[in-house]
Amino acid sequence: MWENLDFGQAIEYAADPYASIRAWKNETGKKVVGSTLADVPEEVIYAFDILPVTLLGTHKPLRKAPSLLPDNACSLARSNLELALTYENDLFDGFVLPQVCDTTQHMCDIWRINFPDTYVESILLPRQVDRQSARYWVKEETMRLISSLSQWTGKSITPDDLKRSVAIHNENKRLLSELYQIKRRHPETITNKQLFSLLKLSMQVDKKELNESLKKIRDGLKSHSDGRNHVPVVLTGITCDPLEIFDLFDEIELNVVADTLVTGSRNLQGIVDEDKSDLVEALMERHFRRGFFSPIHDDVFKNVEALKALYKEYSAKAVVYVHIEFCESEEYDVPDLKVAMKKEGIPFHMLVTEYQTLSLSHVRTRLHAFFESLRESGR
Amino acid sequence: MSDKMSSKDLSKKITKEYMDEAFHAHDLGKMVGYTTAVSPVELFVAHDIIPIYPENHAVACLSGRMGTELSLATESMGYTSHLCAYARSDLGYRKTGKTATGGIPDPDLLLACNAQCFTLTKWFQVLARKGNVPMFVWDTPEYIKDKKAREEIIKYCVMQLREMIAWMEEVTKRKFDYDRLKEVMKYSAESSLLYKKFLDMAQYKPSPISIFDALIGMAIAVYRRGTQECVEYYQTLVDECQAKVDRGIGVLKNEKYRLYWENLPVWFKFSDHAKLLGSYGGVILTSLYVHAWSLEFDLDKDPLLAMAEQYASVFSNSTIEDRADMAVDLFKRYDMNGMIMFMNRSCKAVSFAVPSLRDILVKRTGIPALVFESDMGDPRFYSETQIRTRIEAYFETLDRLRL
Repeated sequence: MWENLDFGQAIEYAADPYASIRAWKNETGKKVVGSTLADVPEEVIYAFDILPVTLLGTHKPLRKAPSLLPDNACSLARSNLELALTYENDLFDGFVLPQVCDTTQHMCDIWRINFPDTYVESILLPRQVDRQSARYWVKEETMRLISSLSQWTGKSITPDDLKRSVAIHNENKRLLSELYQIKRRHPETITNKQLFSLLKLSMQVDKKELNESLKKIRDGLKSHSDGRNHVPVVLTGITCDPLEIFDLFDEIELNVVADTLVTGSRNLQGIVDEDKSDLVEALMERHFRRGFFSPIHDDVFKNVEALKALYKEYSAKAVVYVHIEFCESEEYDVPDLKVAMKKEGIPFHMLVTEYQTLSLSHVRTRLHAFFESLRESGR
Repeated sequence: MSDKMSSKDLSKKITKEYMDEAFHAHDLGKMVGYTTAVSPVELFVAHDIIPIYPENHAVACLSGRMGTELSLATESMGYTSHLCAYARSDLGYRKTGKTATGGIPDPDLLLACNAQCFTLTKWFQVLARKGNVPMFVWDTPEYIKDKKAREEIIKYCVMQLREMIAWMEEVTKRKFDYDRLKEVMKYSAESSLLYKKFLDMAQYKPSPISIFDALIGMAIAVYRRGTQECVEYYQTLVDECQAKVDRGIGVLKNEKYRLYWENLPVWFKFSDHAKLLGSYGGVILTSLYVHAWSLEFDLDKDPLLAMAEQYASVFSNSTIEDRADMAVDLFKRYDMNGMIMFMNRSCKAVSFAVPSLRDILVKRTGIPALVFESDMGDPRFYSETQIRTRIEAYFETLDRLRL
């Protein structure tokens, strides 16, 4: 299904992967489990021969979700619920849902109540990562997930099953990192839209198949410009959706050279040590190699320091922050982040997105205005 | 009895002495630790750290109708108007210095517990950055139904309490005294039981207390838990209420509707709501929110375990189904016949469960629910006419059902 995609097909699937997932499910007879952001150990789900699919919202109209989640809830959370309740309600065999913020505090309960005949499990990853106890807890929760999936499917997994799954996921992250590196240096070879479509699709379809496409895409890359016309920028936030936003980036020749998106580099940071004999331990250790995620408590200056370091390392010209409206967690961070960026002399642009209501023309106007002024100022 | 102070005077005295001590903490060689209303504050008390609750200060400011003014000050710093009103009030107070009380001293350390919400963690992170103050997050995963998972959650929570003790020792450069903790826990357990007894006075007919009495009465439980004076205060309060019960004195002479309230109150509409509901013969008796401090510590257990069990299982950290069980228990014990479900824009952690909770409670009790949306502290999000109309319509529905 996804082993022979070119860039065009990958973009098409990334915009709406669900029809292809349904076809894959019919073809293979395998189960499909949906998860919301972030940090669900998908290697574990995959080891059970189940396809883990990260739910990344829908831009289709909301029908049922508003009666369950009010309009001041994060639009990603609302649209994910709508996606599962209305648009893809026959696709998922189960859900594994993390608790990360106030919006998701009772999300698993809401889904469990509304999907009474479906497998719904929570994963309660620690919301602090600055102490030893968090390490203990990640391992406990990973083992609870294994036990829960085992009970649901009626089968158990062997260390080899997990090892094979980890290897596929690691390969996927390495291939994507490789493509990212090419795009970083040669932005005319891979566009922002192409790269971020591949990153998104990788979180939603069978990685074993997609890895074949990634290898072919990599091997088929030809033109290698130096990207001197492009403006290097660092992207930050949780996710950048819809993917058409990257068309706007491409239109004004921005080159995303680094990011801290949960659906971007933070995902790629999740490579697991395959050589470790205890892979649950290795999955736990991986959890702490990932970067900043606003709802998880860590060093309170970590995001600023991470962005400063990326800005410097890749000689970026600006930081672009993509905000999801009503993401309360990030709303506590942003004012300090803006001040810190200003203090460092780092140009900072904030894009506000909202599923269902985003106006791309508005985003285009603001992006144009910001980067025109940046170019005029000779930065 | 005549020489004994009233609960009201006792509350004033305790609060004054507490705030005086907090403002002079450094002169007394003590530190000020900010903490969240539901948190293992007994550790602070046992370690002679004076706990200060920015939430309580915010309540005073919001009840004093300063919500919009302070929020606008916060918004001028780039924060949005849909953050928690407590946080908006607090950040606005720090910018303007405006307060309904004498303010609160700055923190030397910060403790956030996410059993009530994660907003407090984010709000305290802002304060940690502002003052470069050390911060500890006591992470309490949702207290899900699975028995084995619960045991693991408690184990994780206890592990963190040990880390917290080590953190406090590092920050204060003093050794923690476990014997002192046992003493503090004794007071905390005793006052919590008395507090619960006070809340349970609402089971009498007519009820001698309304939720508004409970909201005033809970303050000492929040900020003086673990002290002897807290025990004295609740003993006095219980005695006063019992005297009312003995004399058949209720909040309303003609108590017609005994109501459940879901969520935190609309602080700036406190007395207006009591009067409006009272005019229909309605009295709000209780909520799960006020019961959050009805803690039942098992003193036979290790204090850290006893604390973890109580704080991790608070209503806001329980599943929606468990929360419904807790509410249904109150409906039965207090014989309530109406419910008002407040969708509080400020409090996402509690409010996003409300639509699902309403459906369960209506189904299980057979009682219709009034649902309204507003903000607990910001009058800009309160529509007077709309809410009044809905309350009127709700009582008409209840009247019709009684016929």
